[in-house]
Amino acid sequence: MLSASSHGRTPAAIRLVAAVVLLGLVLAFPALAPDPFILSVGVVIASYAALAVAWNFVGGLTGYISLGHAAYSGLGGYGTALLITEAGVNPWVSMVVAALLVGAAAVPIGIASLRVRGASFVIVSIALVLILLLVAQSWAGVTGGSNGLRVPRPFGTDVLRPEQHERFFYLFVALTLVALVLWWLIDRSRLGTGLKAIREDEDKAQALGVPTFAYKLVVFVVSAFFTAMAGGMYALWFGSLDPIFQFSILTGSYLVLMSLLGGVRSLLGPVVGAVIVGYAVEFFKNQYGDTQLHLVALGLLLALVVLFMPDGVIPWLTSQLDRFRPGGTSIREVDAAQLAEERKALEEAKR
Amino acid sequence: MRFTTIPTASKRSRATLAATAALALASTLAACGAAEEGGGDDEIVIGISLPLTGDFSEPGKGIQRGYEAWAEYVNANGGLLGRDVRLEMLDDQSSAERVAADYEKLINQEQVDLVVGPFSTRLVIPAAQVAQDYGYLFVEPAGAAPEVFEEGFENLFYAAPAVADDHYKLLAEHILSMPESERPKTAAYASMDDPFAQGTAYGLKDALEEGGVKTVVDEVYPPNTTDFSSIAAKVADSKADIVVGGSQYQDGVNLIVALQQLNYQPKLAAFSTAPTETEFAEAIGDKTQGIIAPTGYTTKADYPENQEFVKFYEEKHGEAPGEDEANAWTTGQVVAAAVEAVECAEPDPECQSQLIDWLRENEVDTVVGPLSWDDKGRPQSAHMIQQWVDGEIKIVLPKDQAEAEFIFPKPAW
Amino acid sequence: MSLSLLLQSLILGLLLGGLYALLAAGLTLYFGVMRVVMIAHSAFLILAAYLAWFFTKQTGLDPLLSLFITVPLFFAAGYVMQRALLSRLRPATLTMMSVLLTFAIALVIEGGLGYLFSGTQRRIQLGYSGASLELWGARIAVVKLIAFGLAAISLLALFLLLKKTRFGQALRATIQHREAAQLLGIDTDRIAGFGFGLGLATAAVGGTALALDATIYPSLHWHWIGPLMAIIVIGGLGSIPGAAIAAMILGVTQALLQIPMGTTWAQTVFYVALFATLMFRPQGFFGGRLAQRF
Repeated sequence: MLSASSHGRTPAAIRLVAAVVLLGLVLAFPALAPDPFILSVGVVIASYAALAVAWNFVGGLTGYISLGHAAYSGLGGYGTALLITEAGVNPWVSMVVAALLVGAAAVPIGIASLRVRGASFVIVSIALVLILLLVAQSWAGVTGGSNGLRVPRPFGTDVLRPEQHERFFYLFVALTLVALVLWWLIDRSRLGTGLKAIREDEDKAQALGVPTFAYKLVVFVVSAFFTAMAGGMYALWFGSLDPIFQFSILTGSYLVLMSLLGGVRSLLGPVVGAVIVGYAVEFFKNQYGDTQLHLVALGLLLALVVLFMPDGVIPWLTSQLDRFRPGGTSIREVDAAQLAEERKALEEAKR
Repeated sequence: MRFTTIPTASKRSRATLAATAALALASTLAACGAAEEGGGDDEIVIGISLPLTGDFSEPGKGIQRGYEAWAEYVNANGGLLGRDVRLEMLDDQSSAERVAADYEKLINQEQVDLVVGPFSTRLVIPAAQVAQDYGYLFVEPAGAAPEVFEEGFENLFYAAPAVADDHYKLLAEHILSMPESERPKTAAYASMDDPFAQGTAYGLKDALEEGGVKTVVDEVYPPNTTDFSSIAAKVADSKADIVVGGSQYQDGVNLIVALQQLNYQPKLAAFSTAPTETEFAEAIGDKTQGIIAPTGYTTKADYPENQEFVKFYEEKHGEAPGEDEANAWTTGQVVAAAVEAVECAEPDPECQSQLIDWLRENEVDTVVGPLSWDDKGRPQSAHMIQQWVDGEIKIVLPKDQAEAEFIFPKPAW
Repeated sequence: MSLSLLLQSLILGLLLGGLYALLAAGLTLYFGVMRVVMIAHSAFLILAAYLAWFFTKQTGLDPLLSLFITVPLFFAAGYVMQRALLSRLRPATLTMMSVLLTFAIALVIEGGLGYLFSGTQRRIQLGYSGASLELWGARIAVVKLIAFGLAAISLLALFLLLKKTRFGQALRATIQHREAAQLLGIDTDRIAGFGFGLGLATAAVGGTALALDATIYPSLHWHWIGPLMAIIVIGGLGSIPGAAIAAMILGVTQALLQIPMGTTWAQTVFYVALFATLMFRPQGFFGGRLAQRF
């Protein structure tokens, strides 16, 4: 696979500067935030970013859309909380151990749901969230039932709330960066090539000798691991776990919307999506707070993206912009179906 | 399959977009906040987050009406410390995650002078945590479950007569004082998995088990349960002498209807919350005779504060206030008493800690009678027991406040 | 556990299974005609229940009469939804994108209901809601019996429609082999639209049946979609008889398990069965060759 920089018109140095400036802006956010409330919104958005990037390991690389990633983040949160309260493990160790356990649990789940194509995968992803919600609500002795669990603070009481927000903001940004680097590495590896082959045409990929099942399983487990890490970190920050919120299909659907909006095929797409959606949610709440209209808005937005911009809003916007750019390169990433459609359109135009 | 590259130009514009988005985020969110700075010298702003939508919206709206009536009443009578009271309300959609963000926002962005609590234990705990972290006094109208008082909050006060476990205290005493031959032998319990609802049912269960009443069914169901037929089947099959429901509203109604469908006839049926609601009788087909419920509030109580409250509320809404409205009003009264006593209502920690200290030491006269608290914030009074008699809900216990005779055994429904 | 409790639970399970069967039949119909996993099916179910509730509240008439409005309305809505929205999706990504699109529709319905009627739980007040018949010591609630009867009649009607009419033949041909059906001169696009309408009509009937004896609230549909999806996978995706059989078996199993395990744990039977099916027999237990590829 060719690397992007060797073909681009922009020198690598400028892109590096752009990346550094962007990162600098993100890191300066706690200092720029005018009050702790905005800082806490920043933490929520950063956690969304981490979750969306984690989701994109499966969604972006294989094209399998999971609506049930809340299952892994919830398990990460509950695992972290239980390891701290029941086993007395250090909070940060708990978070990592819980994520590893969730990764291990994702193996059989992946085997059950990835053997068959799309439809069953989606059904299992939803079923998993629902089953975990039932278990979390019923198994009161361990999970605290519908009351959920309280998670002890990882920092001492001398660390004031605004400072906690700041630390967790950096932690979420760090987690997101680690996940992004890994995604980038996979994307450029043999594994990534195989996965994208699956995304475009699974039957052909299989015929070409790509070990499709094993490849899918690997990224599925990686995705579950990072999702659980983000879930555990959220639990440490927020301090309490409510099963209805932890195991919610809605949370999972936010991740899908973020990734789709930003573009599942690109590295930073989910992050951009998380910022837009996270901000939109807060904005909407500010404007129309007292109603259920936010669900309607979420639904309409999702439907619009699916119907008209299935590759993401940002890729769609940039492709629109590129049209007006003189000498803009015409090469873009397309799948077989798109090519077929384009060809058809061309033929029809010729007639 | 093709391996192609995304033009870098679009990559750069994507980065720019992201950066712009991040900046826009910080500035616009700040802008919405800056528009409404907290109270100046002429008003006291009280921040509240309430479940106006979602699972708890029904009681949430009751609490809202109570708070609004209280603020109007105070303003009509010269305000607090000569300043007008303004309520700043947010909707938390019954979500624990939202409620914490709401108080975070009220305290930091709106810079409210005081905060008071939301509805339901599940929302009170995260909210109290935020208030405590910023040093605010936190008086709450609905968070009666034992867990609330075990979290070690130093700023929390529950503005109602008794915590959940003690709601049925008078009923338990009454049952156990019956002569051996009449006293029920077996009991069935079905409770929502909610700290408050379960607290009431299990408070009674513990007391009755100690007194020798055998538990034959003990079912707990999650808040979103809608099908009660199997729970009812178990209760009916056990033929328990009494049935106790730790319910909110709709689940209590559903359970009663399901029990009726199975033609189960207990000698005593006690349900928390549901029977005290106005729509209850119609919802179960008017077969209410003998159903029991605890209550922390009655419009008929003869405290002067209460008479004034009922009069004011009826004039405004054309109907009598319920328990939720009364609890909110009580909360307002408690906060106002502290504010008047220490003569301050500011966000700064010193004022807030003075308010907290004052409430620890003193008793406040409210619509539910005089209230005082232990060091964990538990109120120290008792709940009354009501029973449906001839199509009306009436106080039957304690004896000195009773409006009707206690009916036992309950007639068939 | 006494024998009478066992009998009681068995009856409750059968009554519930009937409703599951009707709803799962609708869900599997969509999958058959379009390979679409219709997440919004249960949202439409709740929408129909709300319409029945609202109808009764406004007119004071029996909720069953609302069927005369909701069934044609939902049939039309299904047809329009298939023709105007789902057929626009690219075939290559249809399965995934249709999930998202129907999920979005479910959100819009849930949010709209919450906006119009608030999140408060609702229940139709019926004079006969507490009435019951006795059968060998067990009790059968009249409302549950009506709901079951409604489901059974609709399922029978659906079955006859598919087996005995020309439209049914065309629909089955479309399900089995779309291209071949096209060659035979069947307008498969129209037929697929009608198939979708039929599926949604089952949700209208199911919703009314549900409203007779249950509390409804906007987010209740999540409670239903899980079991229904499990049923259609276990029954074999695309197989209507498979879905009906799986629904009855699972409904009864759930009711019986409630005795020792309690309501919540018993519900996990759907998911345990789902995982077991995917592990050991991914094509489902009653399904045809369709299921293997999806």
